[in-house]
Amino acid sequence: MAADDSLLPIAILIDELKSDEPLRRLNSISRLGLIAQALGEERTRSELIPFLSENVDDEDEVLLAQAEQLGNFVPYVGGPQYAYLLLPLLETLSTVEETVVRDKAVESLGKVGSSMPDSHACEHFVPIVKAELRQLYTQLCRDETPMVRRAAAQRLGGFAKVMEREYCSRELMPLFTDLTQDDQDSVRLLAVESCGAFAQALGQAEATSHLLPIIHKFAQDKSWRVRYNVAQQLVVLCDALGTDVTRSELTPNFVRLLRDSEAEVRVAAAGKVSAFSKLLTPQQIVTSVIPCVRELSMDSSQYVRAALAGVVMEMAPVLGKQLTIDHLVPTFLTLLKDMYPDVRLNVISKLDQVNQVIGIDLLAQSLLPAIEELAEDKHWRVRLAIVEHIPLLASQLGPDFFQEKLGPQCMKSLEDQVASIREAATRTLQKVAAEFGSEWARDHLVPHVLALIKNPHYLYRMTVLVAISMLATIVSQDVLCNVMLPVLTNAAKDKVPNVKFNVAKIMEKLSGLVGRNVLESTIRPVLLELCEDGDMDVRFYARQALYACDHGGQA
Amino acid sequence: MASAGPPENPFADLDSHIQKLLKCEPLPEADVKALCEKAKEILAEESNVQPVRCPVTVCGDIHGQFNDLLELFRIGGDSPNTNYLFMGDYVDRGYHSVETVSLLVALKVRFRDRITILRGNHESRQITQVYGFYDECLRKYGSADVWKAFTDLFDYLPLTGLVEGKVGGIFCLHGGLSPTMEALDHIRALDRIQEVPHEGPMCDLLWSDPDDRGGWGISPRGAGYTFGADISASFNHANGLDLISRAHQLVMEGYNWSHEQAVVTIFSAPNYCYRCGNLAAIMEVSDDMSRTFQKFEPAPRRGEPETAFRPGGATPDYFL
Repeated sequence: MAADDSLLPIAILIDELKSDEPLRRLNSISRLGLIAQALGEERTRSELIPFLSENVDDEDEVLLAQAEQLGNFVPYVGGPQYAYLLLPLLETLSTVEETVVRDKAVESLGKVGSSMPDSHACEHFVPIVKAELRQLYTQLCRDETPMVRRAAAQRLGGFAKVMEREYCSRELMPLFTDLTQDDQDSVRLLAVESCGAFAQALGQAEATSHLLPIIHKFAQDKSWRVRYNVAQQLVVLCDALGTDVTRSELTPNFVRLLRDSEAEVRVAAAGKVSAFSKLLTPQQIVTSVIPCVRELSMDSSQYVRAALAGVVMEMAPVLGKQLTIDHLVPTFLTLLKDMYPDVRLNVISKLDQVNQVIGIDLLAQSLLPAIEELAEDKHWRVRLAIVEHIPLLASQLGPDFFQEKLGPQCMKSLEDQVASIREAATRTLQKVAAEFGSEWARDHLVPHVLALIKNPHYLYRMTVLVAISMLATIVSQDVLCNVMLPVLTNAAKDKVPNVKFNVAKIMEKLSGLVGRNVLESTIRPVLLELCEDGDMDVRFYARQALYACDHGGQA
Repeated sequence: MASAGPPENPFADLDSHIQKLLKCEPLPEADVKALCEKAKEILAEESNVQPVRCPVTVCGDIHGQFNDLLELFRIGGDSPNTNYLFMGDYVDRGYHSVETVSLLVALKVRFRDRITILRGNHESRQITQVYGFYDECLRKYGSADVWKAFTDLFDYLPLTGLVEGKVGGIFCLHGGLSPTMEALDHIRALDRIQEVPHEGPMCDLLWSDPDDRGGWGISPRGAGYTFGADISASFNHANGLDLISRAHQLVMEGYNWSHEQAVVTIFSAPNYCYRCGNLAAIMEVSDDMSRTFQKFEPAPRRGEPETAFRPGGATPDYFL
């Protein structure tokens, strides 16, 4: 076939490129590669491409085929070095009316472009795309359908970022101004979203002169959704506009948003108090932001209070110790007593940050009573958060304080009704024991933990087993073998199978921690007995454990 | 030496299936089918009144609320450490019926003595075609084969369970009593391996509700009956039972006593259908048959608006 195609038929194909019959032209165009091959690179560049360029007024189907063929044409014109010659033609094809042709042409442009050397791409390719895009974008921003304008507004920031600053201020600025005055709030609010990125693209001076008035206007827009987005964008804007403008011009806007009549806007603004405050002087925070913070901590919407609780303590490093104690701690305490668990949870999650600023003594004095109360919270996730914070508090407050206040709390958590809290309490015990050392653990933790094995409920007895396995890595061999193992051996005779197979699992863990003779004299006999248990799960875990003992822990 | 224990875990595949399901990822179709076949073998050996040893934690409807099932495990403890008895209605209504029922069945196959799964009125070919499970299978697997595998398996689920301790007993089932089933032995004699019929004792056990009125009544559901306190009392007395534990009805506090504490309703799908605002509950029956209830709220859902669940009616005003 190849031989046949290469001689006589080629002449026909070339002739038929000029045929009056669309079908014949289509046939020829579909074999454009073959024609180019026959003509050679030189003639393809100097004759075929110009010919094609003069004949773009054809049927859509022919143009479609042509657009497709040109995508693979780089080798025929002489490789990547000459690929740029294909661009004008494809560019023309990408402007015809039929979308399928345009699609294909753009696809081929992509193919050709990606094969071009970088220097060529910059010289020939990028300008086409840029000019095209700019023009298109301008059209889109002024489209009569709000949906289109919305999409355009959404992309403004990203678009500005990649365009030259000069273009941004000359052409994008008017478009942006138009979008900000759109009668649809859905368009305006997306324009706001682009504000931050746009400001960064414009540079500080220009952004200040052009954008500031727009921001002032937006912050008081009649649509709350627009104001909400201003609150969301404000910190990015501050960065772009610089500290001076932030302090003098943006702060009043921020304060206004913190006091907005719409809860959603206050949520967004409250979530930014710390990020915004970092740009202000401590004095300015105290005079303008703190009064709002105090109000927000008693806001009627729990979502506002939750948002505030999540970030408010991050203001502490900016304020410094004394101002934090004077102005933030009261708010913190108010939020800790909030009736909604999410608010309380958000505060607790920031405990360590407070600690860093005001120091543990003060934290203990002012917050501990609240924390003790929270350890009894009726919402289980709050109790969980407290249990998880105990190691941090313990390491700061020292063993005496732990014994007095936190220890009993920890033991209570071991018997919490919620399984996850019991589990967390065992992890907490391990961390505290590691902090205060094996002897301390032996005297102050182990006896309390082991006493709980008498609980009539199997779930609580199993928690003791888990706690043992946690503490086993920390206590001495003596405590492990003479105090803990007997409890486990006893538990292996429990009437509930679940307790027994947990004994097997834990013995597997301990087998690596004890000496050979304890393994043989104590652990192995227990496991062997459990291997004969009436319950299939007990037998399974006992066999697994036994195997691990025999093979150095590789089950 | 005891011929050194089996070096490999015969349940390795199953364990990895369970790990996958706990991440809410559905199993491949072939694995589901194999799982259902294995489950059939196990369930076929169970009784219509499956004996369950205490301690055990008894749970009600789940209805495809997979995240809330995980919350249930966070509260009650993981399987197999905690023993569970589920009283049916694993599928329909929620977004994750496939993952929910797959997980429970996988746990059953892996730990048959640690978990009991009873049949609910939604474990049926007819009902699942109307309330979502069929559509979910079709959506997630592209064909009805998985639905068929599960609904064929549902025929094997035991109808009731009997939690026994040293004293008394708790009779667990999805719906309620049936006028023709006065003794547990009558239930034991039923041929249960079939689609839930439109009427008759098997239908009643899965559909009936307790009622404030005495005696038997016509159920507004169009299937099963309503039964009064007198019926519950004489059933419990005749069969040496302390309590009938059942699910099937939404109760706002998660559980609800009726018939002078002869009957308890347990519902374990918090904020049912993602909008009812109810709490969920589980009943922990301890070693000595003492009972404690735990109530819980829906699991916090990352990325979802928090407006759907507001106990106490504190809905933000723009939703009114």
